[in-house]
Amino acid sequence: MLIPLFLIGSSMTAPQLAMQAAAQTVVDDSPGGMALAVNRMLGGIVTYATWPNEAPGAPRTMCVIGTPRLTERPAPDLPGRGSVSVRRVSAAAAIGGAGCHMLYLGQMPAVDRQRLIGWVRGKAVLTVTDDDSNCNLGAMFCLNAQGQRLSFSVNLDSIGRGTVRVDPRVLKIGSDGGPR
Amino acid sequence: MTPSPAPERSGARTTLQKLLSRFHFGVTLLAVALSGITILLAGITTLRGYADRNMELAAQVAAYGVEPALVFNDPQAAREGLQPLTRIPGIARLRVLDDKGRLLTEWVSPHGDAMPMLTGFFFPRPFATTVQRNGSVIGTIEVWGDSSTLTHYVRLGLLAGLACLLVTAIGTVILARRFEYELVKPLGEIATVAHDVRLHRRFDKRVQGLGIAELDRLGGDINALLDELQGWQGHMESEKALLAHRASHDPLTALPNRAAFDEALAARLAAGAARFALLFIDADNFKAVNDGFGHAAGDAVLVALSQRIKALLHPGDFAARIGGDEFVMIFDPAGHDAQPDSLAERLRAAIADPITLPGGDSYRLSVSIGVAVHPADGTDPTALLTAADAAMYADKLGKLSK
Repeated sequence: MLIPLFLIGSSMTAPQLAMQAAAQTVVDDSPGGMALAVNRMLGGIVTYATWPNEAPGAPRTMCVIGTPRLTERPAPDLPGRGSVSVRRVSAAAAIGGAGCHMLYLGQMPAVDRQRLIGWVRGKAVLTVTDDDSNCNLGAMFCLNAQGQRLSFSVNLDSIGRGTVRVDPRVLKIGSDGGPR
Repeated sequence: MTPSPAPERSGARTTLQKLLSRFHFGVTLLAVALSGITILLAGITTLRGYADRNMELAAQVAAYGVEPALVFNDPQAAREGLQPLTRIPGIARLRVLDDKGRLLTEWVSPHGDAMPMLTGFFFPRPFATTVQRNGSVIGTIEVWGDSSTLTHYVRLGLLAGLACLLVTAIGTVILARRFEYELVKPLGEIATVAHDVRLHRRFDKRVQGLGIAELDRLGGDINALLDELQGWQGHMESEKALLAHRASHDPLTALPNRAAFDEALAARLAAGAARFALLFIDADNFKAVNDGFGHAAGDAVLVALSQRIKALLHPGDFAARIGGDEFVMIFDPAGHDAQPDSLAERLRAAIADPITLPGGDSYRLSVSIGVAVHPADGTDPTALLTAADAAMYADKLGKLSK
């Protein structure tokens, strides 16, 4: 099983590439196309993440904080089994214990964002944002739309600080590549 | 019974060695071909199995590698997921299809296919495996096999087969040589003996003991046959000698006859004998013996006469009875230290002793003797004999006129 090792190796040896936009998918040129693409990407991220002490495929909760820019109602579209319930909460409520497996960070005050990033450290919570194209503000996954293309990049440092395990193949897709 | 030249054998003949060589080569060729084809087929089957397993593994590896790419619908990531497989030999083409059957990415080996027919035969269909995520199919991987490994093996197998054939040919020649030594050599010995006997009448030749039981038996039989032949041959030789003696000798007196005398005289002249004397001896009034005492007495007189002639012979001399009461002698004067005339007198004296006849009577025989000397009286048989004959008559007439 050389491929995972190879992927881990490359992700370990090139952490500085973490901030670059990487994986991208072509968005359908139809009403709601972007929403579909975003939901599918979110679903993909959820399926490749493993929460400690929780059964794979168990129901997850995604808390939406702030104002999403890419789609009004992000709702992860999982391939196969499993489901994700979406909840809109405030930053304070999230910190206060809303039972979130995953935070979707939309547009919000920088202070709130910093508080949330700081709170997530060391916890089993994923963070996804659509408001950080350079992916250097502390969120683990950053979604970015350019025209009809949607891509995501990963911040390996942030992922390393959390306890959720992400499949190295996804890290490779999200971190590798550079300009296409 | 004279040896005739070897009769021409009709048709093309082959030697035993060639026959054995051909036989060996055929058998060995069959064995090599059978085992070679078996190994080749077994090898192809095994390699085919390995190739299938290889393709299956490649498909599984590809499925693992391109799974996130399919989830995120990312062609570039799919290409990167296939990247490790492009370095594995035995794969001609890879295709990644998404859950709706649309092509996400494709890779074709840049080496091309040297034998598309063989590839089509060995790998008529691609190996396809589905990619699953969370229990649902999210895409398909298709792997096309590459026949280069198999063709390489087949080529190697055929080359090895050719090498085996070469070794077979050499081995066959060596084996045939060995066989020739073991089998053809004893046969050759038998043939040599038979040939010698037939061509040179060497009936004393025998086949030596041979290492191969059957051939040894044959040799023994031939030896027994030769023993018989030798016996016959010896018998025939003595018969022949007897017949020859009878043909050249007078049965009554056991002296050589007229024919033998002609031969001996001719031979002596042909040999270039320098000087010799020819004595012609004729009994006087022999008819009176026959008439007066009977034929048995006549025979006794002739035998006594011949014995007295023989008694005077030295080595190199010759005596023969050439007619009823006519005898000839060839004297080598050097062997007698005497002149021909004194020799004739010595002979006359020896004959003059009385002869005892079968009836008990005694008879005194007188002879007339003519002498001819070579080369003084002639150099050819007729001249010499005529001269001796004439001298004898002169002697006889001289006695009658007294």
